[in-house]
Amino acid sequence: MKKIKCKFNINGNHKDLLIYEEKPLIYVIRDDYNLKGTKLGCGLEQCGSCAVIIDGEKKLSCNILAKDCVSSKITTIEGLSSNDNLNKVQDSFKKYNAAQCGYCTSGIIISLSALFNKNSKPSKKDILKSLEGQLCRCGSHSAVFKAIENLMKSN
Amino acid sequence: MKNNFLETGPSIKKHNKLTDWFLLDEDNKIKINSGKIDIGQHISSTLALICSKNTGVKYEQIEVNKLNTKFSPNEGKTASSLSASHSGTAIKAASIELKNQFFQYVLSKFDCKLDDIDFENGVAKKNESNEGISYWDFAKTEIYKNIVIKDIIEFDKYSINQNDNNQSIELKTIHKIVTGEYIFVHDLCFDNMLHARLIRPPNYYSRFIDIDKKILDKISKLDISFFVQGSFIAILSKDEFLVSKFLDIIKNSIKWKSTRNLSNKDTFTSIDQNEKDSLLVKDGGEAVFERIPVLKNFDGNSNYRSKTITFNRPYLMHGSIGPSAACAIFENNKYNIYTHSQGIYDLKSTLSKALVTSEENINLKYSPGSGCYGHNGADDVAFEAAFIAKSFPNKHILLKWTREDEHCWEPYGSASINKLTSTIDKKGEIIYWSHEVFSDTCMTRPSVSELYNFVSYKLLNDDFIKRKSTPKTAPHMGIHRNLDPIYNFKEKRLVKNLVHDLPLRTSALRTLGAFANVTALESFLDEMAQLANIDPFDFRLNHLDDKRGRDVLLDLRGQMSLDKEKQGCFRGIGFSRYKNLAAYCAVGIELSVTDDVEIDLLKAWISIDAGEVAYNDGIRFQAEGGLIQASSWCLYEEVKYDTHEIISKDWSNYKIIGFDNIPEIKTSVINRVGYPYLGVGEVVAGPTGGAISNALCNALGQRIKTMPYTKDNIMKELLN
Ligand code: FES
Ligand code: FES
Repeated sequence: MKKIKCKFNINGNHKDLLIYEEKPLIYVIRDDYNLKGTKLGCGLEQCGSCAVIIDGEKKLSCNILAKDCVSSKITTIEGLSSNDNLNKVQDSFKKYNAAQCGYCTSGIIISLSALFNKNSKPSKKDILKSLEGQLCRCGSHSAVFKAIENLMKSN
Repeated sequence: MKNNFLETGPSIKKHNKLTDWFLLDEDNKIKINSGKIDIGQHISSTLALICSKNTGVKYEQIEVNKLNTKFSPNEGKTASSLSASHSGTAIKAASIELKNQFFQYVLSKFDCKLDDIDFENGVAKKNESNEGISYWDFAKTEIYKNIVIKDIIEFDKYSINQNDNNQSIELKTIHKIVTGEYIFVHDLCFDNMLHARLIRPPNYYSRFIDIDKKILDKISKLDISFFVQGSFIAILSKDEFLVSKFLDIIKNSIKWKSTRNLSNKDTFTSIDQNEKDSLLVKDGGEAVFERIPVLKNFDGNSNYRSKTITFNRPYLMHGSIGPSAACAIFENNKYNIYTHSQGIYDLKSTLSKALVTSEENINLKYSPGSGCYGHNGADDVAFEAAFIAKSFPNKHILLKWTREDEHCWEPYGSASINKLTSTIDKKGEIIYWSHEVFSDTCMTRPSVSELYNFVSYKLLNDDFIKRKSTPKTAPHMGIHRNLDPIYNFKEKRLVKNLVHDLPLRTSALRTLGAFANVTALESFLDEMAQLANIDPFDFRLNHLDDKRGRDVLLDLRGQMSLDKEKQGCFRGIGFSRYKNLAAYCAVGIELSVTDDVEIDLLKAWISIDAGEVAYNDGIRFQAEGGLIQASSWCLYEEVKYDTHEIISKDWSNYKIIGFDNIPEIKTSVINRVGYPYLGVGEVVAGPTGGAISNALCNALGQRIKTMPYTKDNIMKELLN
């Protein structure tokens, strides 16, 4: 197995790393950057827990190869806020306590942040599209919708 | 019944010292020790709110310590919707005792009356003086250290300004969750830690034979360790990517020998044909080994009309989004284990037997896992991590199950068959009710006497025996939970059948038997209401004396009447009191069925009575989450398997509900001030099943009897 040198930009933090060519991005995020907010749920692009924003688009980091992200700007859940200044989606989720166990929550917040960054007044269809593939088993969905409703009102 | 006295319940009986529950070692902070854990139900926030309300200290100043077997009270499992009634009641009792004793102390110190005291946020001052005594001053006294919480305590003795139950609070965990800083057991990180993954056999009955030696050479060059004992296999590496990368490669280079098939028959044929233990379920819900009366037959009597129906429920998965995980280290002959088990104290004694060491050598710390809905893989993985750790001393072993491990190896909610027969008289009154349930066990938690309930304990010992479970008999235990209806039917015949030799591993999944039993009961009630030509609400109320139950049904009726029913949409209702002694809940569902025979859930209404409301939003979150999960069970879920292996290996083969089919939910919580707290994690599922089944029946004009209500299952029944 070959290792290669790669430069990453995750949450504005630039790092030169020597990584296995086949390493998926999630392990660079969680292990090399020690950013644990991005969760591993399936490793199969089926649950959305590992979602991150790559160059403005939501992507699933569990299967995407890290080496293919070298020239990209990657944002994880930790990169959405600075100090205690939460982004609007996080703020609304916090206000509406929109999580139960919270395992799925960062992926959901990432998906919605990617959407709201591009479109501050998305339609219901846009919202459902962005949440496609984001699984939650605890049933936090109705609280998530309340948080989204609040977000739409404040935009 | 409301009064000014509080019975403190089972947790205080075990741990009656105030210092078991509270730590006041830092000014202006109350630290709570609880024996319950946050498994998605926000119990820590509820406990902090109860403490705040009853001590007068601000919610923000109250912290809840994570369970640690070194210092936390043993409150048994965080299960059976008992978090609020056990720990909530204990914290309420401890808070009131603290307040009562504190005021007694303050009054004697100041030599004054209660009216002369100003009290704010844990500090009492004599009117117009600056002299004050705080809880934290009091905590330094010998009196405080020796406070014993009584069995019954007076809660209105020294009233203070109480906070509002409906206050909007920030959940204790929410900030860290939304910023990604909330640490799950999966996220733990220690120096020299090894990441581990398991290599599971193709099924429960496969024996490890051999591995291709070339693979072992290859992985050892990469510093990946291979661990095998019996048919239990793990690989370990400092690099998590490497263990995940080589998992499939190693799996494919192993030879297994299957010792038996999973099954050669389909689930419901097996349930029907296999050997079973049949028990009579008595009034009050206890199961007994007594002669089962033959089914009565009223045919030929024109005063009566009867109906019979059979419902099928497939195997269901817990399906936590984050697979089970645990972290363990073995050093100086002691184990330190981080776990998200529901029953941490029970696990400690079971592990001590399984690991052949004394309990003093094991310390378990709760570390959050993904949402927990019963006995999932948490106990298994804690044992596995600890077992591996012994062979790699002084290093933390972080073992994570894969998605496939979780889907294929967790103990499922058992498949079941419910057979019902009922008879009404001319007035539409039910005079005979027979309900038989057939299912596998819901109780295979590992215990000191049943170590083989750890799935890997069996693999380690190459133990491929399928053991017979013994039927549980306590009221509403397991399969027969809520089989005894709360309604006042004149004559009942209730039978629990524990079916043996069924193909899949099963144990406690949210509600145990209650989901299938209540869904069947509430569906069949609608059938009988239709036969009697009586409105389903009226039909239920006609058979229900319980005042709180009636109030919940009337509340639901009121809620639903405010929303006009649209054309093309169909409604159904369901009702239950969990175990006939806990929370009450009625659910209404509105749905439509598309031309492509897909069910769109449009609206849902929940009316719930969970005793005194400790945290209104907390009840709402649990209730709505329960409704969504139960909707998913009804519409989509079924564990699939063939003769050799489980086919539902990941989410592509086990669909669950998504954001695109969530109904608009309205929840009404009835507050019974002064009544005991009752948990709500499970009560909503059964009524939801009934409401969906009834709404679907109204939409199709025919009862669908086999879950899930997929296009295939619906069409099969419609065309039959
Ligand atoms: S972990 Fe990437 S989608 Fe599930
Ligand atoms: S909140 Fe637990 S999985 Fe979504």
